[in-house]
Parts: sequence; C-alpha cells; structure tokens
Amino acid sequence: MAQPIEPETGAPSAPKTGRGKLIAIVIAVLLLVAVAAVAVYYLTQPTGPTGTIKVGFTIALTGRYTVEGTNSLNGIKTAANWINTHGGITVQGKVYNLSLDYYDDQSVNTNVVSLYPQIIEQDGSQFLLAPYSTALTTAAAQFADQYNRVMMSHGGAADTIWTGTTRRNLVEVLSPASVYLKGAVDWIHTNHPTDQIAVLHENDAFSTLASDRAIAYAQSLGMSVVYNQSYPTGATDLSPQLNAAMAAGADDLLGGGHFNDGLLIMNQLKTIWTPKFVSLLVAVTEPSFQAQLQATANNVTGPSQWESSVSYGPTLAQSLGLPWYGPTPAEFTQLYGTLNAGASPSYHSAEAGGALFVLAQAIAQANSLNTTDVRAALGNMHIMNFFGQFQIASSGLQIAHSMILVQWQAGTLKVVYPADVAQASVQYPYTGS
Amino acid sequence: MKLPKLPVYGPSLWGLGGSLLLLGGVAPWIPVFPLIILVNLLIFAALAYSLNLITGLTGYVNFGHVVFMAVGAYSLGYSVETLRWHPLGGVALGALTALVVSLGIGAVTLRFRGVYFAIASLVTPLAGLNIVLVLPALDDGQGIVLNPAFEPLSWFYTIWIIIAAEVGLTYWITHGRLGYGIRAIKSDEDAAKSLGVNAPHLKLFLFALSGLFAGAAGGVYAWTTSGVFPYAAFDLTFSLLMLAMIVIGGMGTLLGPMIGAVIVNLLSRFFLAIFIGTQFIIIGLVVIVIALFIPEGIVGTLRKYVPELRRILE
Amino acid sequence: MPEPTVLVTDLAFGLLLGCVFAVIAHGLNLIWGVAKVVNVAHGEFIMLGAYGAYFLNLWFGFNPLLSAPVDAAIGLGVGVLFYFGFLHRELRGKESIGLQSEMVTLVSTFGLALLIGNLALLLFSPNFVGIPWSPGFVRVGFLQLPLGALYVGVASVAIIALSHVFLSRTYLGNAIRAYSQDIPATQLMGINPTSVAAIGTALGFSITMAGGALLSVWLPTGIHPTMAALYAPISFVIVVLGGPGKMWGSLVGGISLAVIIDVGQAFVGLSLATAIAFLTLIPILLFRPEGILR
Repeated sequence: MAQPIEPETGAPSAPKTGRGKLIAIVIAVLLLVAVAAVAVYYLTQPTGPTGTIKVGFTIALTGRYTVEGTNSLNGIKTAANWINTHGGITVQGKVYNLSLDYYDDQSVNTNVVSLYPQIIEQDGSQFLLAPYSTALTTAAAQFADQYNRVMMSHGGAADTIWTGTTRRNLVEVLSPASVYLKGAVDWIHTNHPTDQIAVLHENDAFSTLASDRAIAYAQSLGMSVVYNQSYPTGATDLSPQLNAAMAAGADDLLGGGHFNDGLLIMNQLKTIWTPKFVSLLVAVTEPSFQAQLQATANNVTGPSQWESSVSYGPTLAQSLGLPWYGPTPAEFTQLYGTLNAGASPSYHSAEAGGALFVLAQAIAQANSLNTTDVRAALGNMHIMNFFGQFQIASSGLQIAHSMILVQWQAGTLKVVYPADVAQASVQYPYTGS
Repeated sequence: MKLPKLPVYGPSLWGLGGSLLLLGGVAPWIPVFPLIILVNLLIFAALAYSLNLITGLTGYVNFGHVVFMAVGAYSLGYSVETLRWHPLGGVALGALTALVVSLGIGAVTLRFRGVYFAIASLVTPLAGLNIVLVLPALDDGQGIVLNPAFEPLSWFYTIWIIIAAEVGLTYWITHGRLGYGIRAIKSDEDAAKSLGVNAPHLKLFLFALSGLFAGAAGGVYAWTTSGVFPYAAFDLTFSLLMLAMIVIGGMGTLLGPMIGAVIVNLLSRFFLAIFIGTQFIIIGLVVIVIALFIPEGIVGTLRKYVPELRRILE
Repeated sequence: MPEPTVLVTDLAFGLLLGCVFAVIAHGLNLIWGVAKVVNVAHGEFIMLGAYGAYFLNLWFGFNPLLSAPVDAAIGLGVGVLFYFGFLHRELRGKESIGLQSEMVTLVSTFGLALLIGNLALLLFSPNFVGIPWSPGFVRVGFLQLPLGALYVGVASVAIIALSHVFLSRTYLGNAIRAYSQDIPATQLMGINPTSVAAIGTALGFSITMAGGALLSVWLPTGIHPTMAALYAPISFVIVVLGGPGKMWGSLVGGISLAVIIDVGQAFVGLSLATAIAFLTLIPILLFRPEGILR
C-alpha cells in the first residue's frame, strides 16, 4: 500500500476506527438522501381517476401567513366538499369531482416559483388557485399565462398585480386593495363630511396601497386628511403616532394593517385619544378582537371581504337579476364548522372557498375544460354566490364584489354597510366603551 | 505558524467545473419543471458562495448578507419597471449597486472584530428595510410588481454564469498568494498584519466581492419571482439559510457551499408536502451539532479525518 | 415641528420603554461581560420569558410582575443547561476566548435560535397573544402614563440595581467580576472558574427571562415567536451602546435607544427613526467602542 505522497502537516489524523465510523456516517447520510428523494417522488405522484378535475395551488401553511393561509385552505376544502356532494361539475354531460393538489409554500415566494411547475407539469393540475398574499400571488401569476391555465386569485388584493402589466389568465375574486377603505370614507362623507381624517397604517404592500387609495379618494371628495403616517410591521408602540394624530385635530382614524397592530392601536387609544370613528384593516373582523378588547371594541368598524352574517342570498341575487350558485353564507358557515371542529370561517376562508365556487360555475357554464373557454366564461359572468358578487374587467381585476363594513355593536359583529346587505346601521360616534 | 500545504491542482475544481459545463450544455433540453427547481437551487448556491467569500474565508460571520440580495432585487425591480431595461441589465445593475453598498458598509464595519462585526451585520438589514420602506422611488412599502417574459433558460444561464464566476474566483483566491493572506487573517489577524498582510484591503476586497455576487443573485431572484416586496426581499430567513448552507457544507471550502445548498434546498422540498413546519427545526439542530462537534462542516471534516480525500476534496 | 406636549409625551414614553429595553438587554450584558460570548439566541429567550408570563397568566392568573420572579427561577436552570451545553467545551481550561471559540458560539447559538424559534412556532399558537393586564393610568400634568409601564419600568431599574449590588458587594459577585477580568488570577484565588462562569451565565439567563415577562406589559397583543427577531438586535445594540460588561450601561443604552425611536419618530416617522436608532451602533463602534459610559 503506497503511503500518501504529501502528508499534510498540522492536520490531525484520527485513529482508523474513527475514520471508518465517519465513512459509515457519510454513506448513511447519502442513503437517507436517496430514500428521501424516492419517497418524495412517490408521494407526489399524480393520482386521480378520470372524472376528476384537479385544481392545484400552493398555500401558506407555515411562515408569516400561516393563520391566513390555513384559514384559506380550510375554506377551499369546505367549498370542494360542498361541490362534490352536490352533484359535482357537469361538463359535456359527464360529471366530474374536484380534487385538490396543494403544497405548503412557507409564505416564501421562491417556493412558489419552484412548486407551480411541479403542480402543473408533474401533478397535471388543470386549473390553479393563487397563493395567499400579494407578493406570492405575483410570483405565481407568471405560470398562469406561461402554462395557459386559469388561475383564481383569492388572497392577493393589490391592484398593481393587474394594472402593472397584462394578465391573460389571472382572475381576481376578492375586492382589490384600493377599495378596502372606500366604504368607510363613503359613509363618513355622506354623514359627517366635515370630519377630519387621520390615517395610520402598516408599511406592508397591502396596507399601504389600501390606505393611500383611501386618502386619495377622500381628498377627491373634498375631505381633509390631517395626518398620514405609517409604521413598520411589528411595531410595539404607536402611542407617539396616536398622540400626534390627535394633536393634528383629527376626528376619525383609518388604517391599521393586520391583527396584532390593530389590537395595539385600540389598546393604546384607550389612554390617549377617542376618535369619533375608527376603521381598521383586517383586525376588526376577528372574533378575538372583541374577546380581547371587550367594551373598547364597541363601535369600531372595519372593512371586510365577507362575514358569515352577510345577507347575500338567492332572493337578493334575483332582485339584482343575477344567477345564484352554491350554498348561502349560513350554509357555508355550517359546513365549515362541521369540517373544522366547530370553527367559524374567517373572510380568508370565504374568499378562497368563493374562488373555487366561481371556478366551478365557470367550468359548468363554459361546458368545457379548455382554458380559453373557461376564461371566456369568467369574463362574461356576472353572478352572486355566498361570497358576494363576481364580475371582472377585461384585465381580470374584480369590479363587482363590494367590501362590507362591519362594526362591533354591544359585543356582536354586525354588517353595517352597504345598506342592501346590512343588518344594522352604523353607530357613531365611537366612545371607547 | 506553519500553514498547511494547498493542493497543487484541483480535482474538486475539475469536478465542479465539469458538472457545471455539462449542465450548461444540456440545459436547453431540460424540461421546464426540473429546470426551474435547478434554477432555484443555483440561486441559493450562488448566495451561499457569496457568503462563503467573506464568512467562510475570513471567519467574519455576516448575519446581514441578505441586504446585498435585497439591494440586487430592488435594482432589478427599479430598472425593469421604471427604467424599462431588460432584466439582464437589471441583474448587472444589481451587482453594481450591491458592490457599491458593500464597499460602503464594509469600509465601516470591517474595522470591527469578530462579535462586533456580527452584531453590526445583524443590524444592517433591519436598517435597510426601514429605509427602503419610506423611499417613494421604490414605491414605499408597496413593492414592485413586474411581469417580465417567462424565460427559465435565461434565468438558468444568468445564474450559471454567476456561479461559474464565483467558483472560479473562490478557487483562484484560495490558491494564490491571496489564499495565504486570508488563511492568516482567519487564524490570527494581528499576527497576519505583523507579517505584512494588508488585512483591511483584503477583507474589503472579499466583502465587496461577496456583495457583488449576492446582488447579482438577488437580481435573478427578483427576476424569477417577477416582483420585489420589501418584507420578502429583506427576509432574514435568507441570511439564515445561507449561513446554514455554508456551515453544513464547510466554511471556506470550494465544494462546501454547493453541498450545503443541495442538502438544505433539495431536502427542504420534502418539508413542503410532508412534516410541514419542521424544516427549520431540523436545520437548527443540524447547525448546532455541526458547530459544536464538527465545525469544519462536511467537506472540512472529511478532509480532516480521511487523508485520501484531502487531495481531491476541497 | 411637532408640538412640545407631543414631544414631552414621547420622551416620557421613551424613558419608560427604555427601562424595559434595558432589562432585556441586561442579561446579555452580563453573559457577554463574564463569559465574553454573545448568544445569538438571546431574542428567543426573551420570547420564552414573555410566553412564560403569558402561560402563568392563563393558567394561574399571575400578572407579569408576579411572573417575573418565576421566569427568573426558570432562567437560572436554563442558563446552567446552556452553559454546559454550549459554552463549557469552549471555555474550559482556556485563559481567554479565541476567535475560533467566538465563531463556534456564534454559529451554534445561531442554530439554537433557529431551533427554539421554530419549535415555538410549532408548539405555541401562531396567533399573536397578549396578557390582558391593565392597572389603569396616572396623570402627571398633561401626561397620561400607563401604570403598568410605570411598574415594570421601576422593576427593571430595581433588577439592574440589584445586579450591580450583587456584583460589587457579594463574594460570589466579586468572584464573577474577577473571572471576567482575569481567569488565571481567579484560579489562583481558589475560585473554580467553571462554577463562576456557570453561575454568571445562569444569572444572565434569569434576568433575560424575567425581562421578557416585564416586556410583555408593553406587548398587549404582540407576544409571538417571531418577536425574537426584533428584540435580539435591540439588545445587542443596547449592550454595545452602554458598553459590554458595564452594568449601568444597559440602562444608558436602553433609554438612549428608546428615546431615539420615540422622539425621533415625531420628526421622521417610525420606520426611519428605527433605522437611525439601529445605525447609532456604527458611530459608537467607530469612535467609542467601549460604550457611552466610561
């Protein structure tokens, strides 16, 4: 056995047993990797007999958007369950069931990019849903046009996704971010046009867009916005900002961002300022908002894509001359509860489930599984389902679904605007108790 | 102190270079789905190689490397959306901007030693994020939505060039005279300085290079995800992943970043369908075990304990 | 130019917040001064302290002031575990910590941060939680100061003062200080360096977790595994500002940082003020690396 020609100085040499052990470990690791790769391959094989329409997507089950993503997934599953147990989808006389093909994207857009080709090419999904959030929807959108598959956006609301470029196959189901606070501004303008407005919002893509558009809209109506500031995600103290807003002479407060900062604002308002009207993004619609704030939550409003108490229904649809499809909001809520241990659907559940219903109806209406036909059907549809109205502009942007304004009144969340779906009227002013 | 003798020729370089050339050759025939997975892997490998240039070679732990990637991503976003350039121009701009930023940051922070440098590096992405959030030119916090043409092959060749350059540079740096200076700095910076090694220049050189490549990779990242969003681009998770990759693979080695990228990236696809939510727990455990027991990483430890492999593995 | 009343309010809140910032950084300060290592997972332990307070409140109704001592006791145990798990091998028998050891602790604690943070995400609810404890507020002129913040501010300063007394007046405290200055000399004095280092680390962790409990008062809705990513850099910057190893430095650093953020945001907005606050690290390291305090 030849000796090594250049023994390296300064490097320790382990005893033979140690080296052997190391080689064994390396081989074991390589074997593990190989087994894992084979396992992944087999576990992700396309399944499903013919007679199934496969809808593929990624969703944020872990990471930043885990709460919203999980709620969305549960909504999608509820919708699929309802569709499959109520006759499926009939195309050319044949009945199809829906099957879902989904992966966790960990709320990271690089995963979205590497998963959608797999969903389409390897798993053979015929239709797609977008992931949750504007950033991830943007990353996924390119695959809709590249692979020529219809993609329903249920969780990406920023208008820029559609207005910045041309999308062929990406269709928006939920109301775009630009109209989130429009209802609140409209109501203030109609009822208290001289109120001065303060806007304090989180700095992420969605909240910034929603707030900026609200300001522009308010100013276009002749209202005065006396304070406009933003804060980074995760801010822990907004008392300086709230103080400043009060000092600027504002009557009303709009903005927020997500759940925790909405709660933070309300908590800090307790000791600083009592605006006459408060409308916060996202936070207000969560049941735990009221549970944690108790009386402080009363008369706080917030925009919502949907609430289970909203009165969309076949009669309203008929009065507007729109076709109706699917369960009522109450039925959806009940089915969701049955499938999710009594939980109530959040609006993320509804927007995602609603997207699946719209897709199902479009396929049925097109009477075809062909992308062009279904996309054309989507472009022609003006319908109502449990989530609300659906009609898109030629770009794919949603134009008929309206945000509703909800308000906590004596411990119950009520829909207060617009009038045709409201259960109660807006209580004004906010009193802090 | 005596420095260990470096291998005269580089079988690792041949191996790595050869596989890269092979990949580059067959790329046009790879179907889109595996090609995109490959592009994703190579983006992370490129990021790992860039971090390797500073943390791996000099031992200065840079927690904030994601800043350069974000700068690159935003450069691409800005150049494609506002300046209407082709994305390739955006990638080049990303590299250039990141180079300038890294020179600026490095000139200041590299004066700090060890732990202080690490802390300063941790702070830079946080400061960077908060600054970007208030810049109207970059759409404040809204992010930039792009829709460049879907060109996985272009993505592939761009990141391929970046990695090839990184591998080549890493080899050249570690095997030339610079290599001795760098190893000296890593072992004992003061002693190295007293021997005449120009430590500040060398460190800045490496830091700037690491920034340049991270910026280029960041540009490709923005290109593939067709958009730049502040909280996504400045996500500290990228820094953590890059660091984990080179720790696992072997800091300062030629093969380490690639091995680390393969292990972390490909294995983690496992966790997107099964064992959801446990990926980072496992990575954290592995990093702890490696840092405490085999700090040289896979490549380094193999070299240490298997003498036959020392000539081919580096 | 913001109104003077607004600025004074901001200053007052900044001072109160600064005290709590100081106590969460104080544990890091202690460990850094004693064992000369930086625990990258520091933020995760603050987070655990906050969760500890949350669960103690949920199960037993403890308010955060009561939870702090309980968290401190848990922290002692955790600190000892941490010392023997991560530091002992690197520090044992050595006379000073070298670059290699520094890197090992940086990287291994980085792995620990990943592990704990993501375990927390898996085990605790991903929802943001908070402790509903609000003892009201007190009026001082036009200022309306939350009593909860006042209490924890006082508690924080008390903890720091106590630690100062402990280190300077007790035998064990002096032993720890001796260890941080000169290990061989300490051994010559008949003190076991391992015990001293372990106890010092344990103390640091106990203060950290107590600090997490106190911090929870400022986070009525903000307790979440990812909070570590914010409070770790804050702690590091505070320790550098005040000077590692200088006990009162924590207070100086904490108050400086909080005041810069709270008062600064009135002029340039919260994002920019936060960026500036973090960036003060750089000039300090350049021109006064031993910290603001002499």
